Amino acid sequence: MTATDIAPPVDESTVVLPAVKEPTRWRPNTRGWAIRIAVIAALVIVLGVRLATLGGLWADHISQAVIFAIIGLSLNVILGYTGQVSLGHHAFVGLAAFVAAHHITERAGCLPEEGCQYAPMGGFAVAVGLAILSGIIASGLLGIVALRIKGLYLALITLTYGFFAVNSIFEIPSLTRGGAGMPAPRPKLLITDHRFMVFCLAALAVCLFIDWRFLASRIGRAVLAVKNSEAVAASYAVNVTAYKLMAFMLSGAFAGLAGALFAYRRQIVVSNDFRFESALLWVLMVVVGGLGKRTGVVIGSMFFALFPYLIDLVTPLSDFLANLDRDPEEFTLVIGPALALITMIISPGGIAEQIRPITNWLAGNRFTMHPDGGSHHKPSLLAKLRNRSAPAAEESS
Amino acid sequence: MRTPVVTFILAALIGLGLLFGAGVENGPNPFITLGVMNGFVYGLVALGLVLVYKGTRVFNFAQGEFGTLGAYFLFFFLTKGLPYWLGIVLAVAGTLVIGLGLERVVIRPLIEAPRINVLVATIAIALALIGIEILIARIEPRSLDSILPALDAAGDPAGITIFGLTIEPQRLIALGVFGGLGGLLAWFFSRTDLGLAVLATSQDSFATKVVGIGVPRMSRFIWGLSAALGAIAGILYVPLTGTLTPAVMTVNILIPAFTAAVIGGMTSLPGAFIGGTIIGVVQSVGGWAGGHFTLGEQTWNLIIPGVEQAMIFVVLLLVLLARPQGLLGKEA
Amino acid sequence: MAVLEVRDMSIRFGGLQALENVSIDVPEWEIVGLIGPNGAGKTTLFNCIMGLYSPNSGKVAYRDHDISLLPTHRKVALGIGRTFQNIGLVKELTVLENYLLAQHARIGYGPFSGMFGMPNTWFAERRARASAMEVLDFLGLAHLAHSRLGGLPYGTLKLIEIGSVLATDPDVILLDEPSSGMGPDEAHSFGEQLLKLRQTLNLTVLMIEHHVPLVTAVCDYVYCMNFGQILTHGKPAEVASHPEVVAAYLGGEIEVDHPKEVEDATS
Repeated sequence: MTATDIAPPVDESTVVLPAVKEPTRWRPNTRGWAIRIAVIAALVIVLGVRLATLGGLWADHISQAVIFAIIGLSLNVILGYTGQVSLGHHAFVGLAAFVAAHHITERAGCLPEEGCQYAPMGGFAVAVGLAILSGIIASGLLGIVALRIKGLYLALITLTYGFFAVNSIFEIPSLTRGGAGMPAPRPKLLITDHRFMVFCLAALAVCLFIDWRFLASRIGRAVLAVKNSEAVAASYAVNVTAYKLMAFMLSGAFAGLAGALFAYRRQIVVSNDFRFESALLWVLMVVVGGLGKRTGVVIGSMFFALFPYLIDLVTPLSDFLANLDRDPEEFTLVIGPALALITMIISPGGIAEQIRPITNWLAGNRFTMHPDGGSHHKPSLLAKLRNRSAPAAEESS
Repeated sequence: MRTPVVTFILAALIGLGLLFGAGVENGPNPFITLGVMNGFVYGLVALGLVLVYKGTRVFNFAQGEFGTLGAYFLFFFLTKGLPYWLGIVLAVAGTLVIGLGLERVVIRPLIEAPRINVLVATIAIALALIGIEILIARIEPRSLDSILPALDAAGDPAGITIFGLTIEPQRLIALGVFGGLGGLLAWFFSRTDLGLAVLATSQDSFATKVVGIGVPRMSRFIWGLSAALGAIAGILYVPLTGTLTPAVMTVNILIPAFTAAVIGGMTSLPGAFIGGTIIGVVQSVGGWAGGHFTLGEQTWNLIIPGVEQAMIFVVLLLVLLARPQGLLGKEA
Repeated sequence: MAVLEVRDMSIRFGGLQALENVSIDVPEWEIVGLIGPNGAGKTTLFNCIMGLYSPNSGKVAYRDHDISLLPTHRKVALGIGRTFQNIGLVKELTVLENYLLAQHARIGYGPFSGMFGMPNTWFAERRARASAMEVLDFLGLAHLAHSRLGGLPYGTLKLIEIGSVLATDPDVILLDEPSSGMGPDEAHSFGEQLLKLRQTLNLTVLMIEHHVPLVTAVCDYVYCMNFGQILTHGKPAEVASHPEVVAAYLGGEIEVDHPKEVEDATS
């Protein structure tokens, strides 16, 4: 007899107990709900109308921001939910982009040089599917490595993998057509930048939903438990290996989807698009957004993507930069890390922590500046500095 | 207590043996020699990484960029017409000041944060330094002169020739500086009070506070020293490739140096030296094998793109999978 | 019949023989105590039983089935619950969410239906919340359901952890120093609570405990370990007066009247 033959020791169905109510939480009254719903509706309408009437150029910018947001969600699964660091996400996104482009041109046979303007819809769907699959496989392999190697060492393995992928895999001519790049024509339905933006937004919505259900279900609880302590997680009957792999594969699926969108946004994929600087910047944008907090991550990622264009909107700034002969995009590499450092030093919760009073209120709670009731309130920077300078003073005396 | 110094001398002897002794007809000798020479530069950056890791348990992702920064400083001072030696002094001093400033503004407030947060913070520092380099120095490559000219007065290549490969004076200087600094650091950590205090701080910051060693002072000292080491590595390495671009040290040196440090167990100075040499040779032989592959009478000419990066990835992965605490490391 | 049988368990860490031929029987419906000085190998034994360490030799049987080679999560799913010395709860989650986590194996919908938010997952979650609330109510902790763990007193956290192990629906539970961090009065009322738990839930208990009055009050049988070996075993009163046991506790007598101070409440 093996252990699997053992019957479950307790039969639940025999005892019927009166249900115990959860402690009541504060809930707004009808008027409170009405105000909240009105605010959300107003936001949705204003944003919807604005997005619907956007010009092609800004629609393209928004597409880029949405792709960044999906990449941010992908990294958030690894950074926020498993507590590991991936510095090679440009390789995952890039591989998926090349897979998507390769399928459309080489397999589905839509070669722009032979006059193919629109990708076939079926081929497009398969290409997106293959891109997601490539992300899942690549990230799953990383997950297998992560079963044994953790923390700093894992982070640097992902970094070396990134360099290896960019220099070796992305140089395989049949996959990437070398430096010229692999074309990735869009299907006719998504041919305008505006329609493509709507498609990207829909993809983001799906990712947000999956991320939400992932974290709210037994899957996410198990993953968080594994991050907290593998021994404790196992003692709650969590299969540590399986859930670690699952988290990495979910991250890979998001990265793959982002890669496919990346390919079709530009309609050409060049290996030079995937530089290690972008992978590092992506990690930082998740930190700025707030580790493990999807709303903050989406806002932070979008800000990182849109930052150069937002500078352009402020005429004095853009004039100043034009005089210096500097492109606003070049400032992302300075402002992004600076924001990340400020976030880590002053407010480790990131944007998510800053907007928490508002999101909390919208979700039907009381408006309060300290949603955790103050017990989690971190001492201010000044308080920390004072605490630290006290022993230093003793030391010098 | 004497072990680190002895091991270091032993390792240096092994390295020199590899350099001069491995003579097989038509073998990959020049590549081995080249690999050993590159390995010294990796080792120098790895020393900085090991120093910070040993002292503060932080992996300094910005170690490579300290080098690029030093090289840019040197370039700037040379264009101002300063003599080379003064340029080097000012460049190292400038990088040192920046290292100290970053330690004060970024690292000190995070001293009690989880180590992975500090890793992300050093990534942010590296990226910000790259960004500033791009903004100020622009992306186009600059050329940085060697300390001694690569050609002698007669116009012939200077330096010594081993197995048909001429070693430039710059590489020989790098070798000397590396050996000297490595020995000095090994001595510092095993013999001086300050070195032992630094080690104690890294083991248990609370206990050292109790016995009266200031953690901030140690942190400041270590970051200053490693920034200076980084700058020296950059100043020595960049003239070898001839081109100075933003992020050059991070892209070319940081990962091999890190791999070298891992092979050495992250806390061992001689380990960093041995690791650097191994990585240099593996990369170089890998590049040679990727280009020409000889079996018996036949020779294939293969071109594997990015074989050097691939070699590093494979070596790092295998080393860590086999021994997650590093080849020579005792602790995780 | 013994619910849990440990036979000849040995494990070596480098030069240290942490466990040597340890055999323990935990019969149905009994509370078995495991005492011994610090470093005797008690927690190591728990980790070997649960499969967190792989012992060099020895067997674990659960209701006559050899479960030595099962991974930890399968053992827990079979009905072996376990608490930790320094609180095995997940900080990021609320008390209620920890109890939902504890029901991981029983909730049982697949990863895909979870991620895509299929209707059955919503119902399963609702049922799990209801049973989590029942466990909380049973322990008198229902008012803490939505609290975060940070800021709760240590003794409360210990009780919450025991509750979360109950939520895994165990048959036998392994408690690692449940009364650490509790004062004498709290420990006393905890003992009563434990007896009540066993009565209502039909539990079998194996418990590492330093608090000797608690051991003598609730345990049916006691094993004493020292240097990785079973020193002696028997009824609580016999073991407490056994000369070797007294010698093992630093040569001093076991303080029956003055309960031992909490050694390491912060770890």
